[in-house]
Amino acid sequence: MAGSAAVLEDDSLLSRLDRTLLKLESFLALLSGIGVFALIAMAAISVGGRNLFNAPLPGYVDWIEQAMPLIAFMGISLVQREGGHIRMDIVVSRFRGRALWAVEFLGVFLILVLMVMLVWGTYSHFQRSFDWAAPMWSRDSSIDIGIPLWPAKLLAPVAFSVLSVRLVLQLWGYGRALVLGLDNPVAVPMIQDVAEQAAAEARQLDGRE
Amino acid sequence: MDSITIGLWVTAGMLVLVVLGMRVAFAAGLAGLIGLFMIFWSKKGFDPEDIGWAVTVAVKTAGQVPHSKVSSQALSLIPTFILIGYLAYYAGLTRALFEAAKRWIAWVPGGLAVSTVFATAGFAAVSGASVATAAVFARIAIPEMIAIGYNKRFAAGVVAAGGTLASLIPPSAILVIYAIIVEQDVGKLLLAGFIPGAFSAVVYAALIIGIAMVFKNVGPAVKGFTWRERLVALPPALPIVAVVVIIVFFVYNPFGDAWGTPTEGGALGAFVVFLMALARGMRWGEMKSALIETAKLTAMIFTIIWGVLIYVRFLGFADLPGAFSDWITSLTMPPMLILICILLAYAVLGMFMDAIGMLVLTLPVVYPAVMALNGGEAVAAADSAFGMSGTMCAIWFGILVVKMAEFCLITPPIGLNCFVVAGVQPDLSVQDVFRGVTPFFIADGITIALLVAFPAIVLYLPSLAG
Amino acid sequence: ATEWNASVWGKRRAFTEHVEKLAELVSEKTDGEFTINVSYGGLSKPRENLDGIEIGAFEMAQFCAGYHADKNPSITVLELPFLGVNTLEEEVAVSHAVYDHPAVADDLGRWNAKLLMTSPMPQYNIVGTGDPRDELAEFDGMRVRATGGLGEAFKTVGGVPTSVPATEAYNAMESGVVDTVAFAPHAHLSFGTINRADWWTANLNPGTVNCPVVVNVDAYEALSPEHKEALDSSVDEAIAHYVDNYNQLLKRWEDVLEEKGVTKVEISDEQLDAFRAKAADPIREQWIADMSAQGLPAQELYDIVVTTLQEQRAGN
Ligand code: NA
Ligand code: NA
Repeated sequence: MAGSAAVLEDDSLLSRLDRTLLKLESFLALLSGIGVFALIAMAAISVGGRNLFNAPLPGYVDWIEQAMPLIAFMGISLVQREGGHIRMDIVVSRFRGRALWAVEFLGVFLILVLMVMLVWGTYSHFQRSFDWAAPMWSRDSSIDIGIPLWPAKLLAPVAFSVLSVRLVLQLWGYGRALVLGLDNPVAVPMIQDVAEQAAAEARQLDGRE
Repeated sequence: MDSITIGLWVTAGMLVLVVLGMRVAFAAGLAGLIGLFMIFWSKKGFDPEDIGWAVTVAVKTAGQVPHSKVSSQALSLIPTFILIGYLAYYAGLTRALFEAAKRWIAWVPGGLAVSTVFATAGFAAVSGASVATAAVFARIAIPEMIAIGYNKRFAAGVVAAGGTLASLIPPSAILVIYAIIVEQDVGKLLLAGFIPGAFSAVVYAALIIGIAMVFKNVGPAVKGFTWRERLVALPPALPIVAVVVIIVFFVYNPFGDAWGTPTEGGALGAFVVFLMALARGMRWGEMKSALIETAKLTAMIFTIIWGVLIYVRFLGFADLPGAFSDWITSLTMPPMLILICILLAYAVLGMFMDAIGMLVLTLPVVYPAVMALNGGEAVAAADSAFGMSGTMCAIWFGILVVKMAEFCLITPPIGLNCFVVAGVQPDLSVQDVFRGVTPFFIADGITIALLVAFPAIVLYLPSLAG
Repeated sequence: ATEWNASVWGKRRAFTEHVEKLAELVSEKTDGEFTINVSYGGLSKPRENLDGIEIGAFEMAQFCAGYHADKNPSITVLELPFLGVNTLEEEVAVSHAVYDHPAVADDLGRWNAKLLMTSPMPQYNIVGTGDPRDELAEFDGMRVRATGGLGEAFKTVGGVPTSVPATEAYNAMESGVVDTVAFAPHAHLSFGTINRADWWTANLNPGTVNCPVVVNVDAYEALSPEHKEALDSSVDEAIAHYVDNYNQLLKRWEDVLEEKGVTKVEISDEQLDAFRAKAADPIREQWIADMSAQGLPAQELYDIVVTTLQEQRAGN
C-alpha cells in the first residue's frame, strides 16, 4: 500500500533539500488529484449534456486520455519519498545497520539507472510528437477531435526527472548512513515492518476525523 | 542465445530483485528494459559494434510504454474508484451503513459480525479498494463488537475478511486491471463480479452464524432495536443506495434504455458522492487531503502498471507467452486439473505478494495459456474444455483469479488487510488478526470450489448482457 | 537468414490477411531464408506502430491514417467523406496512386517509413436502432459513433458525433448513448453492433479509413537484392488474396443481415446528392486549404484520387 513511512528531518543541507523537493512533489500530487476530480466533473458534464440537451461533450474520450498521464505520473516522486511503492520486504526487513543501508543504496541506484533511461526514452516519445514547424507544434494528434498529444507526452519525462532528483537525494541519504554508520538517517524513508506501516496509515486516517 | 532463453533469464533476474526488496514496479521495468536490449542486440548477433544501437532502440521502445499504456479511458476508472472511497468516508456513509445494518440484522447469532459483513458488502458497492474498506470498518465495527463481548481476534478477522468483498462487488479497481491486461470488456467483468461477491458475503455470514451457534461466547446476538430505531437508521444510509442505483443503471443497464456507458457510470457515481460530502460540510482542507491521498494511491498503482507493461512489451518481443501457452496445452493432464494447479499456484504466490503486483506479473503469461487450454479465444461453448465460449472463459477465469487475489489479502505472512486491521486497533497484534481470520479461509475455499464447479454463478449476469 | 517482425493488432482476420499472405510468399520464394513474423499486438499499440518503425523496433507495421492525422497528413486525403469509392479494387487503385506521390513518400519518410501496400476497407455504412433513417432530415439530432472526417460529415446534416471507444460501441448502442454506429461490415460483426441493429444503410457510402502497411526504410535498403525482389514481387499477390478473402466476407454479410432481420436501407439519389453537397464539398475545401498551408500539394493529391477513380472505371 502507499502507506507513508516516516522521513526524519534535521537542519542539514540534505534535509533542507529534501523538504524543498517535498513542496514540489506535493504540488505535483495535488495536480494529479485535481486531474481525477476533473475526470468525474467531465463525466457529469458529458452525461448531463447528452441526456438533457442532446449535446455530448465533443471528444470526451480524447480529453480523458489526455488527462490520464497527469493523473498517473505526477504523484510518482512523492510516493517514492515516502517509500510507498510496493515491494516485498521479507528479506530486507531482516537487515540492520550498514547492511540495510547498502541494500537500500543498491536498490535506489538501480531505480535511478532505470529512470534516467526512461527520461531519455519518454522524452524521445514526446519529441516524435512535437514539431516546431507544424500547426500547434503537433506531429501526433488524438483520434477523435485531433488534440495535439505532445503536452500529455511531455508529462512523463517531467515527472520522471523529478523522481530522478528524489532518487539522487535518497542515494545521498543512504550513502551517508552507510559511510557514517548512522542509525536514524534523514531524508530517506525509515524501514518499518508492515504492521508499523499500517499503524502509521491508520493514525493518518484517524487524524482526519 | 535465443529469445526464449533470454526471456527466462531476464524473468529469473527480475524475481531475484523482487525478493531482495526492490520496488516491484521498477524491478519489472528494469528487467523489461534489459530484456529488450538483449533481444535487439541478439538480432545483430551480439556484435559489440551494435551495442549502442540496441541500447537506443530498447530505451526508446520502453519509453513509449508509460504514456501509451496509461492514456486509456478504461484505466480512468481506477482513480475514480479510489476517489469515491475517500469521498464516501468524508460523506459519513460508512458509519451510516454500519448503523443501519446493525439495527436490522444484528438479532441473528453472531449478529454484529453478520452486520459487519453486510455493511462491508454494501460499502463495497461504492468502494473499489479492499484495503481501504478494511481500514475504515476496523475503526467503526471492531470496537463495538469487542464492547459487547466478542472475541477480539474473531472481530478483527471478520473485518479483514469483509474488506475483501470490495474487489468482487463492483466497482472494483482490480477487476478493471484484469480487464485491461486481458483486453476484455470492463462492463461485463464488473457485472460478473456481483453475484460471486454477494455469494461470498452470504458464505461468510453463514459461517459466522454457524460459529456463533457452536461457540456461545464468540458473538452474542444483539436484540431490542425497535422498528422506529430501525427506520430512522435508514435515511442516512440511503445516499449509498442512490450511488448504487446510478452504477447499476450504467453498468447493468437493466431496462435497456440507460443513461450511459460503464465508465461514465463510475465517474458519475463519484460525482454524486462528492456532492454528498459537500452537503455534509466537507471543506477544502479535507478535499485537498482526499485528492492527495487519491493521487498517491493512483501513482503507486499506475507505476506498477506501466513498469510491468515494459516487461510485458519485452515478453511480446521474446514471444514467451506463446511458448508457455504451447507448453501448457501440450500437457497430457485434464484441463480442469491444470486449472486447479494454476489456482493453487496463485494461493502460494499470494502468500508472499501483493494482489495487484501478482496479477500484473502473471496474467500476461498465464491468461493466454488458460484461454488456449479452453480451446482458444474464439472457441464455441460446445467445443471447449470448460464448457464455455472464449469470452465467457475470460470472464470466469478473471473472477476466479480476483477471488484468489483477495484471498491473498488475508493469508499470512503478507496479508495486507490483516496488517491494516491490526494497525488500526493497537491492542491487536498481526498474529491475532491472522488467527481470527483463519475460519474465513474455509469460507473462501468453499466459495472458490463452488465457483469452479458451477461457473453459472459467475456467468449468469454477463450472459444476460448478450 | 533475415528475420523481420511485423506489428499488427487484434486477432488474425480479414484485415490482416495480406500481411499473412506476404509473409507466406516471401518465405516460399526465399526457401525460408527471409521470414516475416506477424505479431498481433505484442510489439506495439496500433497508434504507435509508426513510432516503432521510426525507432527501428520492428521492420513492418500496419496502421490507420485516421488514428493520428498529424502523423500522416498527406494520406488523410483518402479518408475524406464521399470520395465515391465503391469497391475494394477501386480503393486499392486509389490508395496506391496516392502512395506513389513523392510528397506522400516524404511525409511518411519522416517516420523512416516506406509505404508498401494498403489494406482496403469497404465503406463505413451505419447501423442504427429504431425506425430506419433514409432522409437527411432524419439525421438531425442523430447521435452517431463516427470519428474524424466521417463525424464531421454527419455534423453538417445535424448529426451529433459521439465519442465512444470501438469496444464500447455495443454498450453505447444498447444504452442509447448513440443511435447509430459507422463501421466497416467486419467491425459491425466483431464488435457486435450488428446484433443491436434494426437497419443498415446499404448505399450511403460516406467514406472509409485508410490503413497502409509500411516497412522501415533502413531495413528495406539492407535487404539483399533477392530478398528485396521476393518482397516487392509478392505485394500484388498478397493484395489479390486479401480482396478475394474480403469479398467472400461481404457475401456472408448479406446472409447475416437477413439472419438477424436487419433492414437494408436504400437512400434515394436526391438525398445522397444533397448530403454530398452539404458535407463533401465544404470538408474537402477545408482540407485542401489546411494541407496547402502545411506545404502539401493538397489539390494535386485530391486530383489523383479523382482521376485514378475515373481511369479505374474506364478500364473495367
Ligand atoms: Na467494490
Ligand atoms: Na497473503
